[in-house]
This record gives sequence, structure tokens and C-alpha cells, in this order.
Amino acid sequence: MNRIQKITLSIIAVLLSGSIISCDPKEDPIVEIPPAEEGFIEVNGGGATFPNTVFISLRKEEQLAVGRKKWDLAFSTNSEFKVLINGTTGAMAYETPEVDINAIGDIHAAPLRTAGELELTFTNMKSILYVDNARNPLSDPVIGVVSATDSENKVYILNRGSSGTDARPWRKIRILRKDGKYLVQHADITATTFTSIEVAKDPKVNLVYLSFEDGLVTVEPEKSNWDFAWTAGTSSIPFGQAVNGMLAYFFQDLVYHNIYGGVSAVQVLESEIAYDNFTEQNISNLTFNTDNRLAIGSNWRSGGGPNSAPSIRNDRYYILKDTNGNFYKVRFLSLTKDGERGRPSFEYVLVKAG
Amino acid sequence: MIRFNLNKLNFFIFLLLLLAQIKFVQAGGVVKGVVVDQNGRPVPFASVLFADGKGTVTNAEGVFAFEAHSERQSIKVSAVGFEPTEYSLDQNEGSVRIQLKEAVSELSEVVVTGNFGIQSVKNSVYQVRSIDKVTIQNRAANNIQEVLNTELGIRFSQDNALGTSNLEMMGMSGQNVKILIDGVPIVGRQGVSNEININQIDINTIEKIEIIEGPMSVVYGADALAGVINIITKNPNQKVGYSLQARLQEETVGDSYSPFAGAGNHIRNISGAYTFEKPLKIGGGLTQNRFGGWKGNYTGRQFEWLPRDQNLYNFFAGTSFKSFDIDYALDILDETISSFGPENRLEVIDRNFVTSRWMHRLNGKWDLVPTFKLSWQAAYTDYSRKTETWVTNVRTNETYISAAPGSQARIQYSGFTYRMLGQWLISPKLNVQPGIDINTETGSGERISTNEGIQDYAAFLTGEWSPTDNIKIRPGLRKAYNSAYQAPPIIPSLNSKFVLAPSLDLRLAYARGFRAPSIRELYFDFFDASHSIMGNPELRAETSHSFNGSLNFQQEQGSRIFNKTVLTGFYNDVSDKIAYGMDPNDPRITTLFNIDAYRTAGLMLNQTFVFQTLTGDLGISRIGRYNMLSAEQVSLPQMLFTTEINATVSYLIPILNTHVNLFYKWTGALPGFEMVTDTNGNFVPNEIMLEGFHWMDLTFRKPIGDNLSLNLGARNLLDVTTILSTSGAGGAHGGGPQRPMGYGRSYFLGLTYQLSK
Repeated sequence: MNRIQKITLSIIAVLLSGSIISCDPKEDPIVEIPPAEEGFIEVNGGGATFPNTVFISLRKEEQLAVGRKKWDLAFSTNSEFKVLINGTTGAMAYETPEVDINAIGDIHAAPLRTAGELELTFTNMKSILYVDNARNPLSDPVIGVVSATDSENKVYILNRGSSGTDARPWRKIRILRKDGKYLVQHADITATTFTSIEVAKDPKVNLVYLSFEDGLVTVEPEKSNWDFAWTAGTSSIPFGQAVNGMLAYFFQDLVYHNIYGGVSAVQVLESEIAYDNFTEQNISNLTFNTDNRLAIGSNWRSGGGPNSAPSIRNDRYYILKDTNGNFYKVRFLSLTKDGERGRPSFEYVLVKAG
Repeated sequence: MIRFNLNKLNFFIFLLLLLAQIKFVQAGGVVKGVVVDQNGRPVPFASVLFADGKGTVTNAEGVFAFEAHSERQSIKVSAVGFEPTEYSLDQNEGSVRIQLKEAVSELSEVVVTGNFGIQSVKNSVYQVRSIDKVTIQNRAANNIQEVLNTELGIRFSQDNALGTSNLEMMGMSGQNVKILIDGVPIVGRQGVSNEININQIDINTIEKIEIIEGPMSVVYGADALAGVINIITKNPNQKVGYSLQARLQEETVGDSYSPFAGAGNHIRNISGAYTFEKPLKIGGGLTQNRFGGWKGNYTGRQFEWLPRDQNLYNFFAGTSFKSFDIDYALDILDETISSFGPENRLEVIDRNFVTSRWMHRLNGKWDLVPTFKLSWQAAYTDYSRKTETWVTNVRTNETYISAAPGSQARIQYSGFTYRMLGQWLISPKLNVQPGIDINTETGSGERISTNEGIQDYAAFLTGEWSPTDNIKIRPGLRKAYNSAYQAPPIIPSLNSKFVLAPSLDLRLAYARGFRAPSIRELYFDFFDASHSIMGNPELRAETSHSFNGSLNFQQEQGSRIFNKTVLTGFYNDVSDKIAYGMDPNDPRITTLFNIDAYRTAGLMLNQTFVFQTLTGDLGISRIGRYNMLSAEQVSLPQMLFTTEINATVSYLIPILNTHVNLFYKWTGALPGFEMVTDTNGNFVPNEIMLEGFHWMDLTFRKPIGDNLSLNLGARNLLDVTTILSTSGAGGAHGGGPQRPMGYGRSYFLGLTYQLSK
């Protein structure tokens, strides 16, 4: 699909959005395949450098691997105008006081670069200020809500992220609204001219993705077609010495469940109910999490330490409710495939069909 | 390349030969004699004394002469390295020949390190601590760490991820301590003489361990900045005959033990040597150490202290001609440390760290003329360390080698050392020791960027001058060239010893020391999703100015209860210290720089006492480490001090013929500072502390018959496992708040069999 076709599709999607938004997903004309009863998936994370984000559909027993570097910005498709940076590469953004993108140059970036303030490292105690909220990025993105008033939309300096990928030159970006769409201005930090691109909302997906090089790109499947994603990405931990007591850091085995698509998840300890004994009757006792995509997050494995390798936490498993109301119990089996990190595996069983 | 001129060196040796030919002219009407060693070689500058203390010294060719005197019937002849001999003169005898025996049995009272040949402890300008074979036997030690862990100024830290231990001496890291086997540097995981894991040396081959504080960089070159630990190995007897030793020891590891294999610690050793009629000696030995590991808080597959299998082999052959000794030694290490991965529901991953080291040494000694001797050592070491990763599928029970990138890694180092040292006795008051020292090293393997190795060429000159009987001065100078990094152009040292009173000696020393950047620091690049570390090929050596002093008060043996007191002090000022920092060109990369300054200072007091069959040692030290944060935070103290106290008590229970030994050390809390953000977001210094701990071993040794001895006892009597650090910074390699120190109280029972003829 070339770029023009993609844009055309996006425009069609926007035009149709008014009528679709109220639709119940069950009325989707696509023929519904019965949900998988059980499954075992070896996640194609790409190996020891964790190059992929992998979207999983339990119901379809499918996975979709997408390179983490494929995109730079993600745009909310609901009524709000919110923009996310690429946490899966450890991107960071800094708000400048300027509204003229040409007024920003390397002279503004240099102090940030020298101080290491816009790098996701363990020594950067201010990192939390320049990243999206890891738990619910749309609730608190680092880039302010795009205003209908152009003069309120500041220029941001963007480090595209070099966590587990090669570093790329920093960019400057400014995002405006135009006719219900986003208008993105972007340029290399040293450039004196900029590129503009329009981004239309597509309600079939949670987010529309933009790459500075490739324009609009497909990253996540349609919002009802994935349950969780495994990826390396930005997370945060309470850390006394960091600003606001939180340190943003890069974690290699994050699991996000699809909160914007309506998937909810909850952790269950083996000590409460054993995985094998968990049945439909046990669901009602659980409180599912709908607004923190890190409910599974980094909890499913132990971090390892000076004397031990990271490992699966065998004392817990997860119950996921997908967009069709199917309940699955999911337990992670391994962090490796043939000893190689970045290739985890898990198994799951349908507890209750939706 | 080589900065010194070989032609000049040849000329120098020629000059020495020429000077040595000056003949001693004998006067008439005198008793003349010659003093020789067991091989018939003359012993120069031996003292020949009558009972009244009057006498003479032999000349450069071992010849002495004095006027015949009827009252003087008996003479006492002594020389360094020989047993003193009494000789009855026969007045009719015009010329006498006196043979001296080499003093091999006295090795505990002599110093080898830093000298040509051996020198008595009392006469050495170096303040040396030695730990002899008997102490090692009394401790029933399995490794050198168990011998040194109650020494003042020495601290060990465990790297339990790799199953190795690191040593710190006089407030400086192991990178600054040069560990030698008979004067030859050892190759380890970080390259030549850099952070050597001292536990990869066979304890059963050790005759004694010499510890010298302060830089020995003139003689031993790089990395001898905090000091030198020289491990002296056993040497077969000169006499014709054989010796045999066998040792079997079983030990618990904390509370885990199973007999002879598996859990616990199992040590087996057998070694032997034979000296033939013709001057030929051979020997060899085999040691097996089987450490079953310690699970600690783990309940599953993992171990806190990793299981370790060591096989250590050694072989020795030596011969001597008239004025020429040569011997060859081979030490082989074969070690496998097993790291069992955590439980997973599908795949478990185990790693083995397999180390192999072959160290060849060729030692030679050549007595050209009685006043000029040459000794040389050539050593070649091959070191490799493999990381093997094994995968086991729990559901199918298949086990196979992992094919994941980086899962099978190998680091290889080879080091070559050539040292030649000459000793020229110019007069009884002056000797000069010139030397050359060539060290080359190559390293390759995973994550080490391509490099051409390190070649180091050095020439040095030391000598001892005694202007009076009570003063000894030993200046030294080393000039080096290094291919890989900027070495200090010239390294001076000055050691001195003053006899203030018959029982009081003062030693003062100044030296410049340096630590070479290791192959890792120069060329190790490590990039993955969470590491961006690069070596820096532009690093210079760390250099130091070091001042040492000691006061020895030693009374005649057996006369007092408190017979020996030693007070030592030191001050080291290190500049260009290598430390990690952010690359100014790319803040995402961590690399190494010569940025920091560092200082250490310390005082130590040691008291020895003897009362009948009870002997003991008591020591206290205060060692200060420079607080690096004080450079920016002027309100902070510059030096942070730690106290250590140790005690050794040995008692022979006469009726049971059993030796009881107690070894104790209190390692005081180690203070430090780190920067933290306060509630207002400001960086402020915060005092942190690494907890102090007590260590105690109690051992019993009972000889059974002539050849057998039984050891039993308890190590780590106070059941230390971890000590706490209040540091907030932990991370994957920081160790976290709990630092491993021991695996709990352990008991051992061992048998040693020794036979010699």
C-alpha cells in the first residue's frame, strides 16, 4: 500500500467515523470465528536486542511483530487531540517556550544534550519530566493537548529514543489542529525549514502512527483485534533520588494490555487460586484493571540481580477479559527460546466465552 | 622501541667481569681460608668472627686471611642465605676451606620479594609480613582467601554472580595489588596482574605468602601500587631423597554437606618430589577442590555461592651445573563454576564459567663470578575463560547448548614475562642490582575490540648501600616504554633502614607507583539494550606518590612475653585515577577517563607475644580512604577511616600434643558518601555505611605419629553471611544492600600425610 492510498483510507475512515462510533463491535459485519479454547504462543520478540513490539490476540491465537523503531509519534483517535512519543524506543520530548519551529535550533538542544537530560539513563534523575505516563499515556502525555489555538502549541525538542536501537539525530516538532485533523510540523533539530504532514483520526485503531521518514505507518492492529502487547519500553519506578520521586527507565519485557480497546486484566496469585483450578466461578471475585496498562507490566517476571538471571514469576498468572467479553487465564512460561532473551512464551486457556 | 641500549648493557657486564678479577693479595704468616657453598662456589663477604666478636669478612672470591693467634681457636662463619657454621682452627693448618650450608629451613625468617635471592627479615629494607606454611596448615585452608581474611588491611568482596572474589589492600582496589607466584605476575579474567582471583591458586603448593605494603613499581612494574603479594611455592629439598604429601579434607558449607561429593567442600591433594644423586630434581602434584555451593535464601535450583570444581596440577623439574641453576615449573588451573538459572515453567538456563590457565615458568641463576650473579625468569601464561550457556526444556527434559547470540563467549589472554636481575657485590657495604623486565600481553574475545596487545619494556637499577652498620639505603630507578598507554617516564624509589638501637629498627620509604590500564579498560566495548560502555585506548597509567614507614621493636627470642612490636604507617596520593564517566561527545556512552584523585592513609600496630606454649599476635589498624565527593563538597570530611582489629592465638596443649589456634578479625564499618536528591529536588550528600563484621576461625591440629596430622575445626564461627550497606544505589552489579561475606559457620575434618627421606 503506498502512502497516497493510506492517506486516502484514513480520510475515508474519518468521513465514516461519525456513523461508526456508536456501533457495537458485535455488529461488525466480519464473521466471528469462535474464540480459541487454549493456546501456546512463542512471542517473536526478535531476540536479544528486543527489536519488536508484539501484539497478541488470544482469541485468534495470533501475534503481530512490529519493529519498535517503525514510528515516532502516535495520535489519539478519540475526541481528544493528544499525541504520544515512542516510549518503545525510550523517546523523550522537551517543551520549548517557542511557537515558531524555525526559531528552535541546536543551540537550544545543546544544553539538554550536555546535561544528558533528554536521555533515558539511570543517571538522569529528571527523566520522568520528559516521557509519557507509562501506565496510561493518553491520560498524561508529555506533549500537551493540541490546542485549537495555534499560538498555544509549543515547539518540542524530540529525542527519538536510543534505548536498544541506534541513536538518530534529534528532531523538533510542533503539532497543530486543522479541520479535525492533526497538522504535524517536523524537522531535524539543525534545520531551518520544516516538513508538514496532516494526520487524520482512524477510529478503528486506538492510535494512528507517524514516522518522520515514512509518513503514516500501520503499527497496532485494529483495536478489537489485540489483547496485549509485549515490548521493550519506558516504564517508571519510585526512586527517592529522582525528581517527583519517580524515575523513568527502560524495561525490556513490558506487557501492556489494550486499555484503550477495552481489554481489562488482573493478576492472580497461585496462593489464592491455583492456575489449574481457576474456573468461571472465580471471575466474579476479581476486580479488573481498565486504566493501567501495566497491570501485567513488569510484574510477570523478576528482574534478576547481581547473582541471578531474570526469571518468570511462577507464583502468579493473569486473567484477561478481551473486547468480546471472553475471559482467558494466561501464564508466562519462559523469557527465552533456546536460551535467547527477547523470545518469551506463554500459554492460556479460555475460562469463559463472551 | 627498546629505550635502553643493549650494547651499553654488554659493556656494563664486561666491566663487572673485569673488576671481579682483581686478586686478593695474601700476606705471609697468616691463616688464610676460603668460604664456599655446597657446590664449592666461593661465598663473598661472609663474616668470619672469633668468639670475642673480632674478625674479618671474606673478599669477593670468598677468601679471608688473618694473623695466626693461639688463643683464637674457634671461628664463626656466617653469610646471608646460609646457616652459620662454627669451625675449629688447627694452628698447623695454613689454609682452611669452610663450607656453608644453604639455609633452606629458615625461609620464614627471610624475604624473597624485591631482592636478589633471599635476605633475612631483619636485614631487609622492606617491611614484610609473611604467612608461612605452618600458619596455612594450622588454618587447614582451602584457598588463599581463607588465609588472608584475618590479615589487617586486606578485605575481600564476593562477586557471587561469577563465583569469584576480589581483594582490596590498604584501602585500594585489587587492580592496584600485584599478585605474583615466585615473582612472576599472574594472568586473570581482566588480563595480566589485574584483579586476580587469588582463589585460583593451589594452596597446597605454597611455602609462604609475603605481603609488602607500598609500591614496588621499580622492581615489579605496573600495578604494584598498593603493594605486592608474592606467593612463594615449595621447592624440593637439595638433599637426595624424596618427599610425599597427601591431604584429604571434608568440610561443610554452612549447614550443607554430603560425604566426598556434592554439597559441602571436598579437598584432595597429592604431591611428591624426588631429588636425584645427579643434580636433578623433579616434582609434581594434583589438587582437587570440589565446592558444592551454598543455596542461602534460595530454595530452588539457584545458589547464592556458586558451586565450583577446581583441578590444579603442577609439575617441576630443575637441575644445576657448576655455577648454573635452571628449573622449569608448570601450573595448570582447570576450573568450572556452575551458575544454575532460576526455575521457569518452560526453559531453564544454566551457565558454566570454564577457566583454563597454563602458566609456564623457567627460572635460571648463573653465578658468573662470586661477586656477580645473574638470575632470570621467563614465564608464559595462556588464560582462557569460556561462558557456556545450556538450555533445558522442562517439559521435554531436553538439554542443549544455547544458540542465542552471545550465549557462548570466550575471553583469551596470553602474557609473557621476561625478567633478568643481576647482583653485583661491589664491597661489603655496597651492592648494585640492575635488571630488565619485559612484559607483553594480548587479549581477545567477546566484546574486546581489536587491539595489538600491550608491550612493556623496562630497565631498572636498584642497589643497597650501608654507609655504617646501622644504616641501609636502597635507591631504585625504573625506566619503561609501553606500546599501548602512556607510562610514567621514570619511576624512582628510596627505601631505607636505620638501626636506632639493638632491638629497634626504623624503616622509611618513598616510592612512586603506577597502575597500568588493563586490556579491558582500554578495549572492552559492551553495547546492548541496557549497556553502552566503551573502553578508552587513550588512557594513561594511574600514578602515585607513596610514603611508608615502620618501627620494629624486637627483643631477643624467649627473653620476654611481649617480644615484638611493629608500628607501620603509610600515605598514598594517587593521581590520574581511572574512573567511569560520560563521554563528552556522546552522553549516552559510558567510558573511562583519568579523572579522579585518590588518597589513602593508615596506621597499623602489631604486637606479638609468647608465653610458654602460648603464642599470639594482636593488631589494630586505622585505614583512611579519600572521600571523592569532598572535592566538590568542601564541608565533607576528606578522609573516611575504618578500624580493623585482629588476633591470632596458638596454644599447644602439652598432654594432648594438640595445637589449638584461634583466628579473629573485626572489620570495622566502612563509611562513604553518595549524592542523593532531597525532597526539594536538590543534590545533597548523604552518608552511607557498609556494616562491620567479626570473623573467627577455631582450629585444632594433632600430629599422629611422625607422618600424619589430623585437622579439625570450625570456620566462620560467628556465622556471618551478609553485611548491610545503607547505599541507595544498587543496580544489577552494585550488590544491593546485602553484601555476601560468608556462607555461615562451617566445620571441617582433614588428614595430612607427609613423608620424606
